[in-house]
This record gives sequence, structure tokens and C-alpha cells, in this order.
Amino acid sequence: MKRTFLARRNALLSSTNVSWGAFLLAFAVLVLLVRIFLPNMFWFAFTPAFRAADALAAKGDLFLSSFGDAAVLTARNELLQSQNAELASENEALQKRTGTLQSLSGSGIVAGVVARPPASPYDTLTLSAGAKEGVLIGMEAFGPGGVPLGVVSAVLPDFSRVTLLSAPALVTEGWVGHSNIPLTIVGAGGGALRASLARSTGVVVGDAVFAPGPGALPVGSVVRIDSDPSSPVVTLQIQPALNLFSITMVELRATGPTFVNALSWATSTLP
Amino acid sequence: MMRGVLALSTFVSAILFPWPLTALLALVASVSEPLIPLAAGLFVDTLYYAPHAGMWPLFTLCGVAATAIAFFVHSRLLTSPVR
Repeated sequence: MKRTFLARRNALLSSTNVSWGAFLLAFAVLVLLVRIFLPNMFWFAFTPAFRAADALAAKGDLFLSSFGDAAVLTARNELLQSQNAELASENEALQKRTGTLQSLSGSGIVAGVVARPPASPYDTLTLSAGAKEGVLIGMEAFGPGGVPLGVVSAVLPDFSRVTLLSAPALVTEGWVGHSNIPLTIVGAGGGALRASLARSTGVVVGDAVFAPGPGALPVGSVVRIDSDPSSPVVTLQIQPALNLFSITMVELRATGPTFVNALSWATSTLP
Repeated sequence: MMRGVLALSTFVSAILFPWPLTALLALVASVSEPLIPLAAGLFVDTLYYAPHAGMWPLFTLCGVAATAIAFFVHSRLLTSPVR
């Protein structure tokens, strides 16, 4: 008698009954639920996969680019190098600007220096801010660290001019030394300052010189004391705290009418 | 067997390869498994959807559309005398 042999089949795992679409849809829903309710676990599980995908993409790009034309690649490389140099230069300029802005207090009008001597008249700075930005004649200009530099002597709509404290005959009432001895600081031209003081005050080389801002602000220090035995006064040669001709950004603030009066004496050498 | 390989390849492609390849594989797989485009679209959006990038889960919606078309075609083929 012929027996018919029928293979036993698992009803649950029959290849004809398994719907891959339904299975993968259930898997996708499960992954979605994990992402919604257990996001940390989701990223922990899939981060290696994403990294592998990134690495694969990078290698693929490298592989495909190797088939490119050498001349085109060279031109592209040169272009990228040029752009890289431009970006590095721009980045350096921005960092320098950021550093300067941080050193300014930021409560006034910040302006860039457009021209400085010898491009501008000696002991003046031309600034990129003018009446449109609210600059007024008589505003005091401060450099990095809040060092007084000078006073606004002319204002145009987009530009303004600062007469530095070192301008010839610009008179500033200030102080010198730890005991704040009052003195009159006079601009000597070319970035130098000068003051005359009684011999008996005991000022020595290295004493700090202060000018009025909000309070007493350092403008420089005594570098030499010229003394004539026949004279009861000594002349202090003062070196500014900042190199007045290397400043790129200044801050302008209204500090009262002090400097407005001084300007009338100081403009004789200005155009 | 081929159906399984094709379906799994679609999911692997969603992680490792660009989306056009995933879409192509999903469309090919939909010939035998109409639910694959929907599953693949949902999976892709689960992996890459960012709420601030767009309001709608685009891949899921495309998957829904492709699955609907695939079911329609399947139903027409099942009732057709040409089988």
C-alpha cells in the first residue's frame, strides 16, 4: 500500500503566511514608541548606526571623487585654499574686533577708527560714527580699558573727528600720583602730553597721571621730569597709557562740558 | 525568501544609504508586500523627523500613499481573470 508522506509544517512560521510588511510595520511602530517614550534608549541604540552611515557616506564621497578630473580637482583645491585663507583672515579680524569690544565698557557709542595720523591731521582720529549714531561735539572718547583719549571736535552725519588729549594746547585738568595732586595736562603734539608742577610736590618718574571721566581715569604716566634749577616748577613729560595711533575702536560718552571749553584753545593747529 | 531580503534591505537602506534608494526598494517590495512603503516611511520619519524642520512627516505620508496604491493594484489583480 502506498503511503503518502506529508511533511509537518509549523502553522505559525509558515513562509507563506508570514507577512513581512506587517512585521516590519509593527517593528517601525515599536521603534517610534521607543523614540517617543524612551528617547535616551533610542539614541543610545541608533547612534552607532548613524555613525556607521556617516562613515560610509564619507568613504563613498572619497571613492567617487577619485574618479574626478585631476585638473578640476586641482582648481577646486586652489579655490578651497583661497576661501580658507579668506575665512581665516575674516576670523582673525572678528576675534580682534570682539576682543576690542569686550575691553570697551559698552555703555556709550562704539565707533571704529577710520583714519589716524598721518592719514588724518596729527593728534586727531576720524571715526565711523557721526550724528546719525547720536555723536555730539564735546563727547569724550575712551579707548580699551576706559582710558580717556580725547574729545569729539567735529561731527558729520556719518563721521566724526576726535581731538586727542595730546593735541597742541588742549588743556585737561587732571591729577598725578597716589595723593592725587591736581595738575593741568597740556597736549604737546605728536601723541605726547606735558604738565607743569611745583618742584615741592615730590612727583617722581613712573607716577600715574589721571584725567576726569566718570572719576579719575589713568591717561598715562610720568616718563621724565625736566627741571631747571632757576625755576620753581618742573615740567612733567607724560607718556599716554595707550598708543594713540594704534587704536582701532573707541567708545564715545557724554561726560559734561569740561572738554568743550578746552577745545576752543586746541583747534589752532587743526584744519 | 526574496520578499524578506527585499523588505529588510529597505530598512537597512533607510539607515545606511540615501533616501532615493530606500524609496526605490520600498516601491519594488510593495509589489509583493503592500505594507512595506508605509513601514519604511514610518521608520524613516522615526529616525530623521525633526518637528522644527517641517510640520508633516513627509515620508510617512508618502508611504501611506504608496501603500494605498499598492493595495488598490493588488485588489484589482486578485479580481482579474488574468492571474
